[in-house]
Amino acid sequence: MAERGEPGRAAPGAGGTPLVRRRWVRIAVPLAAFLLALAAWEAVVRIAQIPHYILPAPSLIAATLRDNFGSLLPSWLYTLKITFLALLLAVAGGVLLALVIALNEWVELGLFPFAVVLQVTPVIAIAPLIIIFVPSTTAALLLCAWIVAFFPILSNTVIGLRSADLNLRDLYRLYRASPWQTLRLLLIPSAMPYFIAGLKVAGGLSLIGAVVAEFTAGAAGKETGLASRILEASFRTEIPKMFAALVLVSLTGIAIHLAFNLLSRLVLGHWHESESRGER
Amino acid sequence: MTSIATKFIAVAALLVGAAAAFPQEKVVFATNWKAQAGHGGFYQALADGTYKKYGLDVEIQQGGPQVNNRPLLPTGKIDFLMAGNLLQSFDNVKNGVPTIVVASIFQKDPQAIFAHPGQGYASFKDLVRAPTAFIGKDGQFSFWQWMKAEYGFRDEAIKPYMFNVGPFLADKQSIQQGYSIEEPLSIKAQAGFDPLVFLLADNGFSTYSTTIETRLDMVRDKPETVRKFVEASILGWYNYLYGDNKAANALIRRANPEMTEANLAGSLGLMKKLGIVDSGEALAQGIGAMSQARIKDFYDKMVKAGLYKPGEVDLSKVATTQFVDKGVGLDLKKKLGAR
Amino acid sequence: MDTLLELADVGKRYGNGTLAVQSLSLAIGEHEFVSFLGPSGCGKSTVLRLIAGLSPVSQGTITWRGGAPHRDAHALGFVFQEPTLMPWATVFDNVWLPLRLAGRPRAAARAGVAAALANVGLAEFAGAYPRELSGGMKMRVSIARTMVSRPRLLLLDEPFAALDEMTRFRLNDDTLALWQAQRFTALFVTHSVYEAVYLSKRIVVMAARPGRMLADIHVDEPYPRQAGWRATARYNALCVQVSQALQAASAAQADAGAGHG
Repeated sequence: MAERGEPGRAAPGAGGTPLVRRRWVRIAVPLAAFLLALAAWEAVVRIAQIPHYILPAPSLIAATLRDNFGSLLPSWLYTLKITFLALLLAVAGGVLLALVIALNEWVELGLFPFAVVLQVTPVIAIAPLIIIFVPSTTAALLLCAWIVAFFPILSNTVIGLRSADLNLRDLYRLYRASPWQTLRLLLIPSAMPYFIAGLKVAGGLSLIGAVVAEFTAGAAGKETGLASRILEASFRTEIPKMFAALVLVSLTGIAIHLAFNLLSRLVLGHWHESESRGER
Repeated sequence: MTSIATKFIAVAALLVGAAAAFPQEKVVFATNWKAQAGHGGFYQALADGTYKKYGLDVEIQQGGPQVNNRPLLPTGKIDFLMAGNLLQSFDNVKNGVPTIVVASIFQKDPQAIFAHPGQGYASFKDLVRAPTAFIGKDGQFSFWQWMKAEYGFRDEAIKPYMFNVGPFLADKQSIQQGYSIEEPLSIKAQAGFDPLVFLLADNGFSTYSTTIETRLDMVRDKPETVRKFVEASILGWYNYLYGDNKAANALIRRANPEMTEANLAGSLGLMKKLGIVDSGEALAQGIGAMSQARIKDFYDKMVKAGLYKPGEVDLSKVATTQFVDKGVGLDLKKKLGAR
Repeated sequence: MDTLLELADVGKRYGNGTLAVQSLSLAIGEHEFVSFLGPSGCGKSTVLRLIAGLSPVSQGTITWRGGAPHRDAHALGFVFQEPTLMPWATVFDNVWLPLRLAGRPRAAARAGVAAALANVGLAEFAGAYPRELSGGMKMRVSIARTMVSRPRLLLLDEPFAALDEMTRFRLNDDTLALWQAQRFTALFVTHSVYEAVYLSKRIVVMAARPGRMLADIHVDEPYPRQAGWRATARYNALCVQVSQALQAASAAQADAGAGHG
């Protein structure tokens, strides 16, 4: 008496996955669009003879990147270090606080206003204050990046922990599950999709926070990140170098985005609607 | 036609003709800091109508701690730019950015490093020992590079200067950057002591300062505009230093509300005492004077310090003296009874 | 037949003032199959939740023979209207849950889970995820989960309402078969007269606003009941009788409503 699903909806095209869903298409099309845009940019700069200190051509930016890679690489690694460390701390802090808040309403009442204030205050306004008061500049940058990354994780995880199916919660109560069992087996898996969504947001924000904070601080001793390189290039009117450093920032942002998409697929792929693909 | 109508038409024609004879050309001048006495001459020329008399409708755009006006010049968003030292002009020529220096208001760079007294900092060299140096973004990428190369200052000591003297006051062993005509006044006012002042110019940093930069195409296509702006600015500086500068100070305070009258007066006094503006070549050639020899001398010093390779910068492209060294304003100075 | 539990003057008023159940008195015997039938809002689901201990009573008492089962986590089973499966867990892990919460590790529970799945005909789907199953299959997993702890009392809250008729009929028969084999007591909430008559020994008809019992109808047909019984005159007569009781319930509700109008 086994049934298995409904018969699949008829797929458009010659039976099988539609073209827009095929793996190679999903990589090739964005790449082609991007290359097309780059070609157009190069053409415009050459035809209109736009000077390099106003808008450099992609070929010049690439050459600048190659020539300066030796000095840009340590800065890139530093920015990566701050971004990921801040993200790690934001996850730790956000998840811990979310657990405490979701399980205890008094704590929520007391702490949430502070978290909200922290989130709505633009980091570019508090960065100068933080840099003055925090002894180590690296610590100050970490703190700024942490502030922007922390709230989405906290907020999403709290909602996630509270979004466990009501009937399932009744079921757990019926079977006398301990609070720890309910947390481990029900609340945390229920919260996963929300947490991962928050993580995707926080990943990008962490990079932005690190860059913005460093813009405000300027160079900070021996170790400096990409933002300092951008600042330096702008003060020296080395526009192609500015763009080269910006390219590295963008690549980092894209890499973060892709990495968390992959994580989402690994963790949620086998069961959550957000990762469902193919026919039903 | 009646005689009244004739007179009316004649007066009208005269007025129209007068207006036509003085068309107001709009130019934008950006400074590199918030309005202060060190920009006084420019605000003076604006306040007392000197720019207007020369046919220029000048807008002064302030700089500031988070502001970088430099890219605005080559892109055409501004017409004239104030630069704090020659290093950035060298960089522009090195990178093929078509800008050029047309005047130097300061004969001496007032950039200095300040330290607390009684901490054992007797000479500039001693400052290398300081565990913390508060240096701002602009400085980090210009004169700090020279300090590192020439004297061995280390990047590890840098902490970002947030343009607040508080951290310097709190840490007695720290040093910070500043203008010798500005910060000593605010430090004295806030903390009641006179800081030790180490002028970079006295220790080998012999650059011109508060220069006026413009685009090469301005010099080539609109030299009259450049000349008018430079000369009107020079006259403004004489009036600010030796004449009635009340209106200029009022403009400065409107642009920068945190500036006080006492600060402006004190700063002006220091400018005169330290011979920042009207000294050296300016005494004979007028404020704004420049000599290619001195520019080359400064460049050689920077090459020796390792900031540039010899011949990396085509010095003929850095500055032009066609608009200065003409003695403009000297008679005004005599008229104002200045010594 | 021994009494399993007794409701005496049980009432439930919610925090917002709604009187969901008004003074219900009822005795449930061991191994009975009792249906609660009534229009929406008559409190039938609330009664189930009160018995399950998921909601506290506002008045009255519920007494169990042999002490409240609330000390014994395995004595009760609850089947919700939705399958209520954990979507991130396999069918095996979902069915294992009651045993796992009681401390039984996976290896020790394997036999029991396999048996429960076999009983609902899903033995080879132990490794599947709920997303891969149809509605009827998910409901059967839900039933298997409930059975794995061998409950004394099984509470079912309109479990087949969301399924198509053929699946519903099949699950009706499966439920009866399980009930006969495992000998538990079943309390079944439904809004379908036909389902109530087919399945139960007793039908408690309830009216709404406030929720109260109006009739307690006995269904004489012996077990096991075959699908063919649906076509008999006796079945239809019973359905008519129960329908009339249900209409009386609706009328009583309308009167009550008019009274407060």
